[in-house]
Amino acid sequence: MTPTPLRPGRLERLYALALCLYPKCFREAYGTSMRQAFRDALGDRSLSRRTFLFLTLQDLVTSLAKEHFCMLRDTYSRPALVFNALVLAGLSTGLALALYAIPQQVLRQGANDPQIALATDLVAELEQGALPALAGGSGRVDMARSLSPFVIVFDDRGQPVASQAQLDGQTPTLPRGVFNYVRQHGEERVSWQPRPGVRIAAVVQRVNGAHSGFVLAGRNMREVEAREEQVRQMAGVTWIGMLGVILVGTAIFGWYTRSKVA
Amino acid sequence: MAAETAPAAPLTPAVFAILLSLAEGEKHGYLIMKDARTLRGGGVRLGPGTLYGSLDRMMRDGLVEESGLSDDERRRYYRLTAPGRTVLGAELERLDAAVASARTLGLLPHGGRS
Repeated sequence: MTPTPLRPGRLERLYALALCLYPKCFREAYGTSMRQAFRDALGDRSLSRRTFLFLTLQDLVTSLAKEHFCMLRDTYSRPALVFNALVLAGLSTGLALALYAIPQQVLRQGANDPQIALATDLVAELEQGALPALAGGSGRVDMARSLSPFVIVFDDRGQPVASQAQLDGQTPTLPRGVFNYVRQHGEERVSWQPRPGVRIAAVVQRVNGAHSGFVLAGRNMREVEAREEQVRQMAGVTWIGMLGVILVGTAIFGWYTRSKVA
Repeated sequence: MAAETAPAAPLTPAVFAILLSLAEGEKHGYLIMKDARTLRGGGVRLGPGTLYGSLDRMMRDGLVEESGLSDDERRRYYRLTAPGRTVLGAELERLDAAVASARTLGLLPHGGRS
């Protein structure tokens, strides 16, 4: 059984079907003329049918892509639509930043609470005459592993005189700038990194009187930072979700409010 | 203003061929395609999609317009506008300058077809 050769009528019907792939407004404006041009070309004896069909196929691929791109550009490049989307994206970015920053600060500030109490009580004891070596206790807390709060007492020059904590078998010292600040302001609350991978929520207070010096109360921040990371991830997912909703909403709104004129 | 929105040279081969074809007078789609295919029309093989897509954008730019003339409701005729003629003139001058430059460089024979 030999295949039935495609007659012009059938080719034109195929082309008419292919025209359905163009954007509606373009098809409505030019579909009939394009079909007529196709018919004229098929009837033109000076033009090889094979060449023309190959050209038409190429043309379909390139012009379909181009017309759809133009349609999308015309639909979504409207200033009002882009402006609204950008404003919403800006608001959602601000909201996501707040969703991260507020709980992060609450967690970080809350991590200082036991240390504030410890440092305040110890400073009071020292200022009433307690001996630093007895008040500070001896090293029991491993700063790298333990989550327990600890205190370290420093003399006026910043040298440790008593410590409940150790890191790698030693009592680490604070940067000199922290002592200078505490001398002037009475207290400092810092995130202290005595070595890479160990971060301490530290409260440093000034001790006045006979045994003047400094008290540091600290606690490993590992758990707090893990919670901060969870908050960061939740804020990130929320942000991406909000941007997705804005994108989809803008796409749908843009589509339904697009210009119907070709 | 149409003239203010007209595209600057160089034009795409399709736009140039359409403008050149319509410089002769009002034509419908297939006649433009046929003209464009010839060497004197630019030797550009236009399919219906490219032709009508280009015509659509050229009408928005004010380079061409529908003449309203029609021998058949499926055949729409187009003609050049004044800005379209200006743009075509500018493109031809640009090409003419390029050809003159090629002659000066000895890439084309003097007195040859331009």
